[in-house]
Amino acid sequence: MKRFGIILLAMLLSAMSSATMAEETYTFDLSEIEKKPYSFAGYVETRPVFYGLDTDAALYKLRFFDDANRRTLWEANGRVRLEGNYEKNILRVFGRLNTDLQYNDHIHGSERTTFYEAYLSAKPLTSVKIDFGKKTMKWGKGYAWNPVAFADRPKDPDDPEQAMEGYIVATADFIRSFDGPLKTVSVTPVLFPVYEHVNSDFGQNNKLNAAGRLYFLFYDTDIDVMFMTGGSRPDRYGLDFSRNLTTNFEIHGEYAWLKNIRKTVLDSTVVSNQVEQDAHSFLVGLRYLTSFDLTAIVEFYSNSAGFNRDEMKNFYSLISRGFDAYQITGDLTGLGRAGQLAESGYARQNAMRNYLYVRLSQKEPFEILYFTPSLTCMINTDDLSANIMPELLYTGITNLELRLRAGIITGKDNTEFGEKQNDYRIELRAGYYF
Amino acid sequence: MLKIIHFFLAMVIVLPVYAFALDGTKLLLEIDRNLSPESYESYRKLINIEPSGAKKEFTLFTVKKGTDKVASVFLAPASEKGRSTLRLGDNMWLNIPNVGKPIRITSLQSVVGGVFNNADILQLDYAAEYDVSKVEEEDGGYLLHLKAKTKTVAYDQIKIRADKQKKLPTKIECLTEAGMLIKTLYFKDVKDFGGGIVRPAVIETDSPLYKGYKSVMIMAKVKKRTFKDEVFTLTFMPNLESLR
Repeated sequence: MKRFGIILLAMLLSAMSSATMAEETYTFDLSEIEKKPYSFAGYVETRPVFYGLDTDAALYKLRFFDDANRRTLWEANGRVRLEGNYEKNILRVFGRLNTDLQYNDHIHGSERTTFYEAYLSAKPLTSVKIDFGKKTMKWGKGYAWNPVAFADRPKDPDDPEQAMEGYIVATADFIRSFDGPLKTVSVTPVLFPVYEHVNSDFGQNNKLNAAGRLYFLFYDTDIDVMFMTGGSRPDRYGLDFSRNLTTNFEIHGEYAWLKNIRKTVLDSTVVSNQVEQDAHSFLVGLRYLTSFDLTAIVEFYSNSAGFNRDEMKNFYSLISRGFDAYQITGDLTGLGRAGQLAESGYARQNAMRNYLYVRLSQKEPFEILYFTPSLTCMINTDDLSANIMPELLYTGITNLELRLRAGIITGKDNTEFGEKQNDYRIELRAGYYF
Repeated sequence: MLKIIHFFLAMVIVLPVYAFALDGTKLLLEIDRNLSPESYESYRKLINIEPSGAKKEFTLFTVKKGTDKVASVFLAPASEKGRSTLRLGDNMWLNIPNVGKPIRITSLQSVVGGVFNNADILQLDYAAEYDVSKVEEEDGGYLLHLKAKTKTVAYDQIKIRADKQKKLPTKIECLTEAGMLIKTLYFKDVKDFGGGIVRPAVIETDSPLYKGYKSVMIMAKVKKRTFKDEVFTLTFMPNLESLR
């Protein structure tokens, strides 16, 4: 029995020793890093959303005027993104195809497939790259907004990390590095055609626009100066900066000057007027990391081209009158006009002038690896309405990203968020990369 | 005569200290050079291991030039592929290809989660960020006490235990200004990578702040290579993989 015990102990110790050895053996298979001239990747996403609707809100009346007893809305969203890349010598071809699917029990299904990016790159030198095709330029330093992103589509401030669709451009990067306080200079000229089948949604057609960006890394500060001219949109000039003040504290800012911007505004008698003015838009922000791994992003955005409180009130009044007219007589004229104004800018995100964005995210609380809860507040500082978005993100399973998020609207009557179509929404996003 | 005695006494006191400090700095420079050539490329696999044994792996291609320029691009997993990081001295950026332009990140954050933070992943030469405050000999090796040159360095103090013959670190403790241990790095499996590069191929780390968690970095294909300065710029970040 004693011998048996000794053998058992020896086997146990041997097993433990093997386990320890196994635990300490790490492998790095070099075939994993073999470079091929081509690569393919993809992303699939499902995102069911539940909306609790606000039946008194102006944008509810505009959207659900013919279904006015609706209290809730279910929406199923899907996304498939495929990308491919081929490199030979100095040339590279890249394409990213995106398909968005949406189904809800009000308007039923919709599908949109488009190339987000598709371009040919030539890199004859380390310091020179030339691109031709559809691509995103990604100018600006802001997290939620980029007033200086002249050659890009506007970001979704509710989801600023989403991939975006680009425009068809011809562009190049020329880079020079130096010793001393000025470390880097790069120049990015852009030719931006707007014709019937090329970037036609950007602005006035049959124009060849020119844009450019000059970047410096000067005294450890990123500085960009940019412009866009050519007639499709009013001329615009901008600058931005970003700098780390300490290892855990970054500040950034953007400023854009837009010449002779035209917008349609409603006066108190809900008559539309075209106004033309220069617009100034700026953003200041910071990113701060605390000792307990809480990251705070705070940004203030001001846009003088946005609508003021009276102009927005007049818009909500137009919807209300149109809705009443429809209820009584079935006349859709007023709502039709409101719909056109909504599309022209009144219903776009952050259509007013001053906003505060605060995002707090706590990395891996309670030692739960890859788990990041966060809270985002988008506050309209003109009318003090807000959208508050708590969020739970888990990325612990390789290539799978799970995000549960709610959006809670606060705001009185005639305020921007108070007149949104829903009181709250809950969404789950599951995305898989391959 | 008194002046001469004073001068002699001063030299007796100051010279050994000066010589010792110089030795410490020289030793640290030797350790840096033994860990990697001044300019090189390498592949790295980072493995985060949870107390349950669950693992998450990341593969990176890294290039470094001089004492203060380093850049990496993620090759795997698919969710991270194409992400790139750049460090120029105290400045660090992360570029996420789908999302937008490079954003500034801080050295104490981690782009991969787990125990390694950005300063560990985008490690510069130790001599570029730290001064040697003391060198001791113990257990047949060296113990170097380092102090951060500026407040912007991730760890205020570092203790490097180094092998006396190979002049390579075996263990590094990272501490706060108050002397609190943040993490410990263990250097293992010394391997000949060719081209005269003989260095530990595995770095393990644990932290009292993450009890039970462990992160591992495995090096492969470390080789000398020179790069143009333009490689280490924000504008070049999306193209880092073209250097492979």
